[in-house]
Amino acid sequence: MAYVLGIDIGSSFSKAVVCKDKTLISYAIMPSGGNYKETAGKTTEMALEKAGLAVSDISYTIATGYGATMVDFADQSITDISCHAVGVFHLFPSVRTLIDIGAQFSKAILLNDAGKVTNFVLNEKCAGGSGKFIQVIARILHMNIEDIGDISLKSEKPVEFTTGCAVFAESEAVSRIAEGALPADILAGVHKAMASKIINLVVRLGLVGDCAITGGGAKDHGLVRAIETELKTDVLIPDEPRITAAFGAALLAAENSRK
Amino acid sequence: MDDTLVSSIIGPTDPEHRRLANKVMEEALNRAGFAFGDLAYVVATGYGRINVPFADKQVTEITCHAKGIYSLLPTAETIVDIGGQDSKCIKLKDGKVISFVMNDKCAAGTGRFLEVIAGALGVPLEKLGELSLSAGKAAVISNTCTVFAEQEVTSQLANGETVANLIAGIHEAIAVRIYSMANKLKISQNVVITGGGAKNIGLVRALEEKFGCPVLVPPEPLLTGAIGAAIVGKETYEKAAIKGETLKRSTMGLQEARFFS
Repeated sequence: MAYVLGIDIGSSFSKAVVCKDKTLISYAIMPSGGNYKETAGKTTEMALEKAGLAVSDISYTIATGYGATMVDFADQSITDISCHAVGVFHLFPSVRTLIDIGAQFSKAILLNDAGKVTNFVLNEKCAGGSGKFIQVIARILHMNIEDIGDISLKSEKPVEFTTGCAVFAESEAVSRIAEGALPADILAGVHKAMASKIINLVVRLGLVGDCAITGGGAKDHGLVRAIETELKTDVLIPDEPRITAAFGAALLAAENSRK
Repeated sequence: MDDTLVSSIIGPTDPEHRRLANKVMEEALNRAGFAFGDLAYVVATGYGRINVPFADKQVTEITCHAKGIYSLLPTAETIVDIGGQDSKCIKLKDGKVISFVMNDKCAAGTGRFLEVIAGALGVPLEKLGELSLSAGKAAVISNTCTVFAEQEVTSQLANGETVANLIAGIHEAIAVRIYSMANKLKISQNVVITGGGAKNIGLVRALEEKFGCPVLVPPEPLLTGAIGAAIVGKETYEKAAIKGETLKRSTMGLQEARFFS
């Protein structure tokens, strides 16, 4: 059985996944930077190296994500909505509602019992429900993005933000810090504001079945808990939520390579 | 008592509203050569109006803008106020507010949007208007969100777009947002632009284009709310005088208020 490659060029991070049939062999993640073509090549090399493979071992490549068209060595490109759906459905067959929280966009996707996308809604107009919001707040708090989730979970009294706008919330956060608010409470407040924007997407579609969260946002425990609180249900998170679309692309590549 | 503007002062607001309220009050009194005790009544308005301890009354900026504009430009029927923190549109009939609509939830369409982009372009805020007039063609800004538009402007700059075209594009983008907000009310002429946004000639031109009519700008568009507050103060004072009532005044004088800062 030949090896296949799924590659997802996101607005912030690029991910490459190598699969053999439908089994994950290796993956790589790196910042997308300003040159998507070069990044696509590098991310692929990294993933191949981890698997001890060469480019010639790959029989089929599918590209997805924001910069999918820049992956000139791909055999095909497929929308990230479809790839997310395939990736999540393979990992969690009970999931019917999928929330993807990326650096620029958040989306909610509904799946049917066969794992096919039946509806989806995007938030691309407003940074308030995207990973960008967390980046903005992490910057003013001088914190690493990876530490934010755990710190937020320690909050006992989340700050109530008056708007969901990332720009206004930034100045509001600065004022609250000046008044002595704890970083944990600021972060928990931001997570709450983000969760309510993200939940709006789910509400527009209607929550069905089990819910999974993917994308970089799913690595933020504070945000995940805020969403669980709003949804009043637990959610499923893949081991590495950022590679879900690339994994889905690889699964589709495995199917297509057999045709 | 008449409607003449005796003195005025404008200063930037910082988080310490109370200290600033005192400072601008003192300076305005100095300019007029008055003491605080000479004032018959004090009305505060605006976002931080509750942080003016020496004010006798707090009145919303909607009412005050309407009063101020009616006295300056009596033919105005629509006021578009573009502030640093929000933007709003007020419909007037014979100087009375008949309806209003406001955006304070999203930075796009407010002065904040301009501040952020001016920062990204390294252009002082007050230079934006003039610079945009030299644009050959307004750049198309496809993002609504301030955060995303900032990124877009930076990448368009990197791709060789001119600063002037980008600023013109930004003015166009704000004008679109403001027009769609104002359009929820039935816009009727004359249209007046107030707030800091009115000081930006490029934005005013972009709004004229969207509204499809010339707009009026008061001599000092930052002052209209405060002028309106002064008029409300005068009216309150006169009404009480006619009825022979004694007005309830704030017990916090200007000096004592300092201790609150």
